[in-house]
Amino acid sequence: MKQLNEVIKEVAAQSLSRGEVDLVIGWKKGDLWWQSYPAFVEGDEGVADLIWDPFCVPNLSRYLLEELDDKSKVAIFVKGCDALGFNQLLQDKRVEREKVYLYGIPCDGLVDPRKLEAAGHKWLSEVRRDGDELVLVSKEGEQRVKARDFMYDKCLTCRYPNPVTYDQMLGEAVEAQPQERFAGVEELEKISDDERFEYWARQFSRCIRCFACRNVCPACSCRECIFDIPEPRWLGKAKELSEDQFYHIIRAYHVAGRCVDCGECTRVCPVDLPLQELNRKFIKDINELYGEYDAGVDPETEAPLVTYNTNDPAAFTES
Amino acid sequence: MKKINKEKLPALWERLADEAALYLPVEEDGVVNFAPWKEGAAVNLDVINTMVPPKHLVFPQSENYLRFHVEGSKLEIEPLDVDGPYVVFGARPCDVAGIAIIDKLFLDEPCDTLYKERRDNGTIISLGCNEPEETCFCTSFDLEPGFSPDADISTWDLGEYLLWEPRNEKGQALTAKLDDLLEAADSGAAQAVEKLRQDAASREAAVVREHGWEVQGVKEALEDKFDSEIWDEIYRRCLGCGVCTYLCPTCHCFDVQDYSKGQEGLRFRCWDSCMFGDFTLMAHGENPRPTQKERVRQRFMHKLLYYPSNFEVYACVGCGRCVRKCPVSIDITQVIKAAGGVE
Amino acid sequence: MTVLNPLLPQVAKIVKIKAETPTIKTYRVVMPDGSKPFEHIPGQCAMISVPPVGEALFSITSSPTQEEYMEFSIVKTGSVTNFLHEVEEGFEIGIRGPYGNGFPLESFKGKDILFIGGGIGLAPLRSLINYCLDKREEFGKIDIVYGARTPDDMIQKDEIFKIWPEAPDTEVHLTVDTEWEGWEGRVGFVPQCVEEICFSPENRIAVTCGPPIMIKFVLQGLDRLGFTPEQIVTTLELRMKCGVGKCGRCNIGDKYVCKDGPVFTYAQLLNMPPEY
Ligand code: SF4
Ligand code: SF4
Ligand code: SF4
Ligand code: SF4
Ligand code: FES
Repeated sequence: MKQLNEVIKEVAAQSLSRGEVDLVIGWKKGDLWWQSYPAFVEGDEGVADLIWDPFCVPNLSRYLLEELDDKSKVAIFVKGCDALGFNQLLQDKRVEREKVYLYGIPCDGLVDPRKLEAAGHKWLSEVRRDGDELVLVSKEGEQRVKARDFMYDKCLTCRYPNPVTYDQMLGEAVEAQPQERFAGVEELEKISDDERFEYWARQFSRCIRCFACRNVCPACSCRECIFDIPEPRWLGKAKELSEDQFYHIIRAYHVAGRCVDCGECTRVCPVDLPLQELNRKFIKDINELYGEYDAGVDPETEAPLVTYNTNDPAAFTES
Repeated sequence: MKKINKEKLPALWERLADEAALYLPVEEDGVVNFAPWKEGAAVNLDVINTMVPPKHLVFPQSENYLRFHVEGSKLEIEPLDVDGPYVVFGARPCDVAGIAIIDKLFLDEPCDTLYKERRDNGTIISLGCNEPEETCFCTSFDLEPGFSPDADISTWDLGEYLLWEPRNEKGQALTAKLDDLLEAADSGAAQAVEKLRQDAASREAAVVREHGWEVQGVKEALEDKFDSEIWDEIYRRCLGCGVCTYLCPTCHCFDVQDYSKGQEGLRFRCWDSCMFGDFTLMAHGENPRPTQKERVRQRFMHKLLYYPSNFEVYACVGCGRCVRKCPVSIDITQVIKAAGGVE
Repeated sequence: MTVLNPLLPQVAKIVKIKAETPTIKTYRVVMPDGSKPFEHIPGQCAMISVPPVGEALFSITSSPTQEEYMEFSIVKTGSVTNFLHEVEEGFEIGIRGPYGNGFPLESFKGKDILFIGGGIGLAPLRSLINYCLDKREEFGKIDIVYGARTPDDMIQKDEIFKIWPEAPDTEVHLTVDTEWEGWEGRVGFVPQCVEEICFSPENRIAVTCGPPIMIKFVLQGLDRLGFTPEQIVTTLELRMKCGVGKCGRCNIGDKYVCKDGPVFTYAQLLNMPPEY
């Protein structure tokens, strides 16, 4: 990890100094141990700030939408999940491949600060990855814990830790160790319709309608989102369960078949809505109805929901 | 000063809920938020910052205030009643301070009577913080983690007991109704509270100092920063999601909308955010804040310069919610630092 | 006694609708008992509701000296205004107000006043112009420069062509953007016209309302003529929701335009962030 932290600075400096790109988007560190956030580096000055650590979770590819407006080439770092999101933007024709340079980062899983906090690991100054362990540094000294115990749920089920697309790979491939990703969906499938309705109603009613889940999503790249159109206003602004449900059902349908299962929506939700379970229900249904499909793996394969086969099952119209 | 054994709290809540609608921090699906008390509710008084601050109890996310009836060219308008009395139990000092900050704007002339009526219907019982969270910096704003001057009743968690002190008439009136549940606290109690307050404040102040999160002079420093390059750096990663404003105990911007079904309808106001692109979008399509840069600047300038210019108080209480919850760590303390206060 | 919720409108009635141009209509409004909705100062606004479409803020175009009714000139630009353009006389609306500071009348007394308006920008000016004409002795010479794209786009044609030119010590200078069949008056943009006439800044206040681009050039022109920022008064138009300084939408710097404006001197604007 230490090494990669140096490599990213080198490659960024190189690309910029050779004039190959106008901008490098990476991550930098905030005051607090878990703050690793998107950084925009255009010249030598910012390069030293770039970091790679177990908290570099924000997906950088969405920024391409805006940044490419006035730049000819932009470089970004992509983890496994980010690369899927990037491919989805390509498939949706929202970015041009030639205008982007991808540094691939094989990712051994990122750390959810809230899991550390919940286990009482607070007031830290640094968290380092060392093999399968995390080194937690605080004023009291260092402590080692098992990394997997504190990884994001989305990382525990990750099947593509090595970027599926890149221009330059910055490290050795890592081995995927995915847990079963549909376990949560299966739990929800077991309960009765009424119970499930009640479960989702309870979740949706917590939504504050900030739209962070949409704004962060690599599949939500419409120039004008249906929820933002002032006239007619499809989604009312009232904090009513019916509006919450409307928003979430439409959001889930709009990303169905294009959701790359990166889990960003779930991570950014300020009130912890388990949106990934909802997305995964769609993925699971699509897999079962139309055959296995992983959005974002190959932008050239045809997506099942936008192709028609005469032998497609008619599950949506059958009662 | 009074006290109550924590074992008796459920009885207290039951009594309070008889008096008025009672809201307190309840854990549901792993999330702690202010919710109506029900028998058996999983009340959680340990969590310092509820996910959403209790501001929605005085300023709901959406609030219907009139009913209209349209028939041909005829219009009828009828005001709606504001909900009745309620009690908020366990509000943390920063969140209570947030309400006091919002009061300044809403109660200023012309008084927002809709807000005032709801506000007056509430009795706020605060719970002092024994120790800060990593993201707390209320001491920067001259607030105290262990004490809430604006609550109607202050309480402190002393382990076995909760100490209880009414702070005004409203608080005394409610306390009187609970006489049989509360006991007199002995003289040591006041000292214990004093110590708790000092410990919490000094611990937090040390952290604030260490991080350089002091706010001194930031308002003055921002006066000439409208065109500063600090905004160029900070806005670029912003997702425009509004989490920082919706979860902020001091943000108070709203929209007004109508909802109708046939000839009947309701008009309501609902939270809105300067971080959203359509906040200032005009009917003919122009937008005085066309990009996220202007919006991010507005958020911070409003909190740290404009609001204090008008109401002599920063529109931030240092609760740390935006620090914790912004998906890309756009953190108000970074702006405070970048602005650079005067010594 | 309960103070009324400031967001609560009263029912009022549109009693007369006059089509000014294809996209602008003037509405005459009274309360159900036939009285004027409320008193106001020139430059103030009112919030008009058409449930379930919503509310929008409009400047009151009638003068406070008009005791019978209130008038609004409204351009068709959004959902509320589109709806209003469809209704007929007799239609009931909600109204609340008055909002905003209005023009600083005291500081205008005894001075010559130069009104500079473009298009719909005449609406707020008209309230003040008629007020000044009704209190003629309190003010000096009155000049009105008004322009529109074409003669057909001009509003309040009775007043601009007949009534105002005949008022004592009052001159009306009309201009259209480009040559137009049958138009014998001035041709050219409003800012140009102002500079050509070469108004002296001596003891004069300039009041200007119109599209932002026009205002921008008018300000430059007035500057060249020697007007100080304190002598220039204008109004701002922003998205508004509450009208009472609460909803935060019209906040610019430490001002709430709905409450502290919409009227500002240019000197004040120079001290505010340029977010309008
Ligand atoms: S991020 Fe969470 S709170 Fe925000 S809109 Fe999405 S589900 Fe709702
Ligand atoms: S600005 Fe942030 S830290 Fe300050 S009160 Fe609001 S949410 Fe809390
Ligand atoms: S202007 Fe922005 S920062 Fe200020 S109160 Fe409104 S939403 Fe909050
Ligand atoms: S929470 Fe962060 S990303 Fe979202 S609007 Fe606020 S500053 Fe921007
Ligand atoms: S319109 Fe609401 S504050 Fe001005």
